[in-house]
Amino acid sequence: MNRFLRRTRAIAHKEMLHLIRDPGAVYMALGVPLVMLALFGYGVSVDIDHIPIAVVDQDHTPASRRLLQELTAGGDFVRAADLPSPEAALPLLGRGDVRGVFVVPEGLARHRARGEPGALQFLLDGSDGSYASVALGDAAGVAAAASGASAALDLPIRVRFNPTLRSAIDIVPALIVMILSMVSTLLTALTVAREWERGAMEQLFATPVGRTEIIVGKLLPYVGLGFVQTLLITTLGAYLFDVPIRGSLLLLFSTSLLFLVCMLGVGLLVSVVTKNQMVSVQVAVIGSFLPAMLLSGFIFPIENMPALLQAIASVFPARYYVSILRGTMLKGSGVSLLWPQILPLALFAFLVLAVAVTRFSRRLA
Amino acid sequence: MSAIVVQELRRTFAGQVAVDNLSLSVEAGQIYGLVGPDGAGKTTTLRLLAGLLDPDGGRVALLGRDPFGRDGSFRESLGYMPQQYSLYGDLTVDENLAFFREMACLSREAFAARKERLLALTRLAPFGRRRASALSGGMYKKLALACVLLHEPKILLLDEPTNGVDPVSRREFWDLLHGFLADGMAIVFATPTMDEAARCHHVGLLYQGRLLAEGAPSELVRAFDHPVFRVGGERASVESWIEKSPDVLAFTPAGEQLRIVVRRGRELLVRGAEGDALRLVLRGRDGSRSPAFDATPASPTFEDVFLARVHERHEQTEA
Repeated sequence: MNRFLRRTRAIAHKEMLHLIRDPGAVYMALGVPLVMLALFGYGVSVDIDHIPIAVVDQDHTPASRRLLQELTAGGDFVRAADLPSPEAALPLLGRGDVRGVFVVPEGLARHRARGEPGALQFLLDGSDGSYASVALGDAAGVAAAASGASAALDLPIRVRFNPTLRSAIDIVPALIVMILSMVSTLLTALTVAREWERGAMEQLFATPVGRTEIIVGKLLPYVGLGFVQTLLITTLGAYLFDVPIRGSLLLLFSTSLLFLVCMLGVGLLVSVVTKNQMVSVQVAVIGSFLPAMLLSGFIFPIENMPALLQAIASVFPARYYVSILRGTMLKGSGVSLLWPQILPLALFAFLVLAVAVTRFSRRLA
Repeated sequence: MSAIVVQELRRTFAGQVAVDNLSLSVEAGQIYGLVGPDGAGKTTTLRLLAGLLDPDGGRVALLGRDPFGRDGSFRESLGYMPQQYSLYGDLTVDENLAFFREMACLSREAFAARKERLLALTRLAPFGRRRASALSGGMYKKLALACVLLHEPKILLLDEPTNGVDPVSRREFWDLLHGFLADGMAIVFATPTMDEAARCHHVGLLYQGRLLAEGAPSELVRAFDHPVFRVGGERASVESWIEKSPDVLAFTPAGEQLRIVVRRGRELLVRGAEGDALRLVLRGRDGSRSPAFDATPASPTFEDVFLARVHERHEQTEA
């Protein structure tokens, strides 16, 4: 046992020296996550607001002016133009200067004063589906608010955990999963393959060092590096995009560590099997990025997938970590709620390392 | 019991035979030279001995232990130095040594003493903080040797360790090895060069994965019974007759002259016109005869033996 620890420590120490002397991996581990966080966090926002619209006020009453003010007060719409008639707005719609035209027809205030139903008109550019549906929803909301207590039925909707349904709150945890998957897999994907390519493995395997010692020793420095990376992107992710961390930090970081070991293990396995840095990197990217992106519930909800895809998704650790992160960050869930997600992660970590060790052949050919 | 015993070892790569029914044994305190041209199977043989490849057949015993089994304890007493660069270039001399100390789990005291001795012997002491990749070829090889000698292995496998090393460093390398032999180490030394082979206690001539001849270099030379001549005369004419004659087993340039090995009993010697100088006539395949070349009998060298054995092996496989 003592010998096991000594050799493992020596391998870890040597690997750390490689890292320090060739800091490319450190830059990759800390730089790439930042870039990805910025790109996805700011770029892939599904929040649509500040929609430019033209308004046409044909009523010219204090009530109509108030209505139009309310329309843009929420920030959903920006009043880009004031026009005399809907027809005048058509060229602007065509050019894409405005996404919609809000028309208050003449006599609205008069009708309303008499208690008769009034009608507003909203012309919408339907060429961009997501804009159109968001704008439609927002406009309906404004109109409903403007119609006041006259609505017969009131359906109070309260969204929990993300009351304003801001997409960042939903995206950031998934983003953490994606970044950690890809970068950590890449980190270890190179290590074993590099040693084969350099010829060092031939000498190493002639010494009494065991395969488990090599695998664990190589894993350790990257767990450290990966942990710094996790701290960085969870902290920055939470801070920049105003995502709350409602659960325990200890749970958040210990589960992150577990996930990290899973993905570093995948990288090691790929490296052990391919023995080639080029192939290893490609397999690692495809094998970590795609499942994390497509099968984690990040983009497509797993519940909506066909049974076969659901089964495949349940093999990858990404989906469990997404649930854990959403749980700890947004819902404040504890171990008692999250153990069904933590358990598969632990199992995966153990299995992937065990397979990496057994597939790690001491033979050169 | 011999330190290393190899019995009918075989290994093929994609149908190509690399090691062909190889048997040999090495005693403790002996250097066994595995001599052969590139592609003869030297590296494969050493990798098999180190347990880095599985054999297709045959057995190996290192101090009685099987390198192909589940028991890895033989590695405690094994030192293996691959032909290619295998240390960590971005680690310093000291760091490389410290790494291999940990692999062997040496105690601090044992390591300090051995490191001091090895660094003194290899004269690497002033370069402790230099990165391995910044060492010269000879120094790198000496560091690699120091790394495999740290745990004082009983069995040392060296794959062309002096390849690319200057003659002075090469000499130091051999001195280093001889120092360890006295402690009972058994060494297998793979090399393509004949002068290094001649320094071994025992050599095996490896060709196409087979041992063509085996024994002490001096014995092999003494037992060699084909006559050797240094032949003068017009070079082009001599070479064309060497080409034509089935009796020439080997030839090597020796300055102005050519060294040739003629099949025993097929040498045709005539006296020159002056009466004292010896002249050699070669016979062509069709019975034709060459002009008489000036010839001086020479005693066979290890290289003559090796080349002639390879030639004879060719004749056998063609027949």
